[in-house]
Amino acid sequence: MTQGGMTRLNRRMLLKSAAAGTAAALAAPMVARADSKSIKIGMSTILSGRVAQLGNSSRNAVMMEVEKINGAGGLAGRQIEMVIRDSKAQPQEAARLARELVNTDGCEILIDAEASSGAFAVHEVARDLGMLCLHTNSETSSLSADPKLRLPNAFRTCRQGIHDSIVGGAYAANIAKTKNLTKWMTCSPDYAYGRDTTAEYMTYVKHFKPDVEVVGESWPKLFQPDYTEVFTKILQTKPQVLYTCLWGGDITAFVDQGNIYALFGQTETFAVNMADYTALTAVKNLPRGIHSGNRYIKTFPSTPENAAWADAYRAKYNEYPTNWSWENATAMHFLAVGAKQANTADGAKLAEVLKGLTIASPFGADGKLTLRGEDQTLVGYAIGWGTTIPNEPYVTDMLPGDWNQIFPLEAEWKKSKNFT
Amino acid sequence: MTRRSLALDVAIGAAALALLALLPLVFPSKALVDFLIRGSALALFATSLNFLVGYGGMVSFGHGMFFGLGAYSFALLMQRTGMPIPAAFALALIMCAALAFVVGVICVRLNEIYFAFLTLAFQMLVHSVIILWVPLTGGDQGLRGGIPRPPFLGINLANQMHLYLMSCTLLIAGLVLLHHLVQSPFGYTLRMIRDNAARASFLGVAVLRVRLTAFVLAGVFAGIGGVIMSLFVSGAYPEFAYWTISGEGIFMIMLGGLNSFLGPVAGTVILLVLNDFVTRVTEYYGLTLGTVILLFALGLRRGLLDVLVDLWHRNSPFSKVKA
Amino acid sequence: MDLIALASCLSSPACIVTQSTGGLIIGMLLFLVAAGLTLIFGVLKVINFTHGSFYMLGAYFALTIFQFTGSYTLTILGAGAATAIVGLVFERLFISRVYGQNVLMQLLVCYGFVLIFDDVVKIVWGVEFKSMGMPPAFQLPPLFIAGGVVPPFYLFLIGMAFLIGLALWLVIDKTRLGKTIRAVAHNPSMVAALGINTGFLYGLVFALGGLLAGFAGALAAPVRSLTPGMGFSILIESFIVTVIGGMGSIMGAFVAALALGLIRSFGSLGFPLFTDGLMYLFMVVVLIARPTGLFGKEIA
Repeated sequence: MTQGGMTRLNRRMLLKSAAAGTAAALAAPMVARADSKSIKIGMSTILSGRVAQLGNSSRNAVMMEVEKINGAGGLAGRQIEMVIRDSKAQPQEAARLARELVNTDGCEILIDAEASSGAFAVHEVARDLGMLCLHTNSETSSLSADPKLRLPNAFRTCRQGIHDSIVGGAYAANIAKTKNLTKWMTCSPDYAYGRDTTAEYMTYVKHFKPDVEVVGESWPKLFQPDYTEVFTKILQTKPQVLYTCLWGGDITAFVDQGNIYALFGQTETFAVNMADYTALTAVKNLPRGIHSGNRYIKTFPSTPENAAWADAYRAKYNEYPTNWSWENATAMHFLAVGAKQANTADGAKLAEVLKGLTIASPFGADGKLTLRGEDQTLVGYAIGWGTTIPNEPYVTDMLPGDWNQIFPLEAEWKKSKNFT
Repeated sequence: MTRRSLALDVAIGAAALALLALLPLVFPSKALVDFLIRGSALALFATSLNFLVGYGGMVSFGHGMFFGLGAYSFALLMQRTGMPIPAAFALALIMCAALAFVVGVICVRLNEIYFAFLTLAFQMLVHSVIILWVPLTGGDQGLRGGIPRPPFLGINLANQMHLYLMSCTLLIAGLVLLHHLVQSPFGYTLRMIRDNAARASFLGVAVLRVRLTAFVLAGVFAGIGGVIMSLFVSGAYPEFAYWTISGEGIFMIMLGGLNSFLGPVAGTVILLVLNDFVTRVTEYYGLTLGTVILLFALGLRRGLLDVLVDLWHRNSPFSKVKA
Repeated sequence: MDLIALASCLSSPACIVTQSTGGLIIGMLLFLVAAGLTLIFGVLKVINFTHGSFYMLGAYFALTIFQFTGSYTLTILGAGAATAIVGLVFERLFISRVYGQNVLMQLLVCYGFVLIFDDVVKIVWGVEFKSMGMPPAFQLPPLFIAGGVVPPFYLFLIGMAFLIGLALWLVIDKTRLGKTIRAVAHNPSMVAALGINTGFLYGLVFALGGLLAGFAGALAAPVRSLTPGMGFSILIESFIVTVIGGMGSIMGAFVAALALGLIRSFGSLGFPLFTDGLMYLFMVVVLIARPTGLFGKEIA
């Protein structure tokens, strides 16, 4: 069972800022910046509601890295003070919090750990206020790909839908070729992420194996509790393959319910978001052989650094890291390296250094991660697909994606969307 | 409440506006400015809702649909066409009025509970349309990329202070207008219908027509709130049209007081201060807000302003009403 | 819109069986929750906005009881009983203070508790979603009835819900307690004048509502993922069922719940993108035609 995951440092900070901040917010002039010995970094995320695990694991990862960075001297000699607030998944709250963190609390850098619409709302605040902003959870490709949205001070340190779709499509096409699987069905949540990801994935499957046919689609609502109508449709249509990008509690419920229809024995299943420890450990009867991409798996990349990071996280928080965890840790890693290189923690100078920066990372496909200069988004992270087994390490036979394959296809995709 | 002339209302409004305009000079806090912009949007929304609930006896659970439509139509018009802000503003309000008319025609004949649920159903339908019509509305991600703000009449809404002054002006103007409506013969007829619709109808009042008019007016003022909010976040999100906005509106008028004209404004301030304070202190927002709500509902049992007004009437030497 | 799929399903017995089973699952669970809601409204004239939280608590109690005992029977009974107690305490300590008040004030109390319960669940059970898992007794392959696929657990669920509903009807209609409850719905002061403790009866009604919601939560737990806030969607649907069926009518809730389940099930074939909208549309149509719901009476 998870405790709040807040360290003493965080709680002390919050109480201090609450007392000072509320009075300041409504009366006094803007709170002076924290003394030059420390730097405040704000973080807006989702700590309540259905997606609370997103904020919880993001925060855990950030705090773990902050301790390490502060222990090593901080950012260019300044100790980091995190100010973390809950937007409750309301985009107008996310916007308000972003403004408050910068204007009232004196945060110089903002970690945007919001999801989809919240991230776009914070992005507008970044446009208005100009502080360094790192998006750590939003996977919508257009956030970085669309040149109309680009800002010199906003970066994305997390994975992107388009990269995942290319790798996933290639892997699936290979399996489909070996086993001659041409009849596919999809089941994905009916919102932007679900629609875009599914469309892109199937495009790339067909790119690599053109005779694949989508014979049926299901679009359950996000967080829909009951998938019976999906299963009955699948049983009627009898596809050879099922694709789903359901995630979190939804994929758990889907697998639980699918089991009682004995679905997974008869149908080859590709579940983009199955290989996430929270889902893997929650499902009580995890079927064998479901294909999944790595949201975060301790054994992929199978390096000692990756395993060590996961073990440290697990020891500290008594739960496994999630996809959101590594993405937020990455943001802090980039800040640490950037500050060392630029020899300052000043947001504007950091932004210049971050553009195009490559760092060593346990999450990199070859041990390295880069914030690509042209669109200020993360590339080079480890993407791989494998199949599930009912016990640790839960996913085996991981095949890594090839970034040399990803880049040209991604460029083509951008051109097709008029993003260049 | 004694009848006050429009002139007096305008004078009070002008004074309030002057105060608001000077406030950031005395307390130069960006957070205060942001707070009052949000507050203006939500206070207009809440007051328009109370126009229906408190003065009209029509409990609507779907009022948020006008807040959302106001935000979306304004943001869309600005993003897609080059039109000047005042034109987009006017068009957005016209669309809210149109929606209010259509929904009102169907709903105002129903009694309390069913009126409430049907307005809620319509709001959820509007929300569904917003989510589904992805090419137009951006779906669940909302309208992204910001709202262009061409300057007009020397006002540049990209400047936060200009936005602040405009929001305050809209708030005060809206409140003055609504108050005037409440104090007008129309307002008294509305209250008569609230108290006893059958008797009003026997007296020759066109009950349904008055209710429909009130519904449309309330929808328009809610739309103004939506426009202000869309400028604040520089976009529009489906959450603006979700039932939770309607729920917040109900809380604001309950917390502030159904029976006072400024009750909803007070309630808005209370809820926003609570929201901002609690978010700073703890992540258990639900627990805290829930407890505060219980203290109000079980302890105070009435909105804050209602309680204060009652105390004033009891203790004031000028009041003819004694405890 | 995919009317061809819908038509081809309606002409195939296998599909009809499968889809109807699906519709019955949704409908029967919805009925259990809506029955409690409509009962509370019919007797106490209170719109229990907290009812979805009762369902959520029922599911979480079931999770914990099953973890400790491994017995599904105990789980269902225990979850029902525990939620009934929650309902009783809730009514006696809080709702009883707002009888006769503005309905918005009652709603506010309920909503305050929705917020509190969500956070309590978050604190006690944690933020990650949880899964109870299928009890070993039901880990069986699906049955084939007339070519349609029917998982045995779903048959159990439908059967149990039906039995519970039947028991409810028997209690309300045939027993003395039920008569007293119906009497207090019509004329509380007369019942009180006859020396019956109406406060206790009110608490009992809420407990009954909690019991039903708790059963629903426990029956749904094996096939749902549990998160704080999971009560919300079934709450909205139960309200729609209650409004369509007529507030205060258990038969109305039964008919409306089944109708909604079948609409959702068959509707998702013909109108895959508009399934939710269908539900709201159905409500709009019924309310326009019969403003007090299918079986409802005009409330004085």
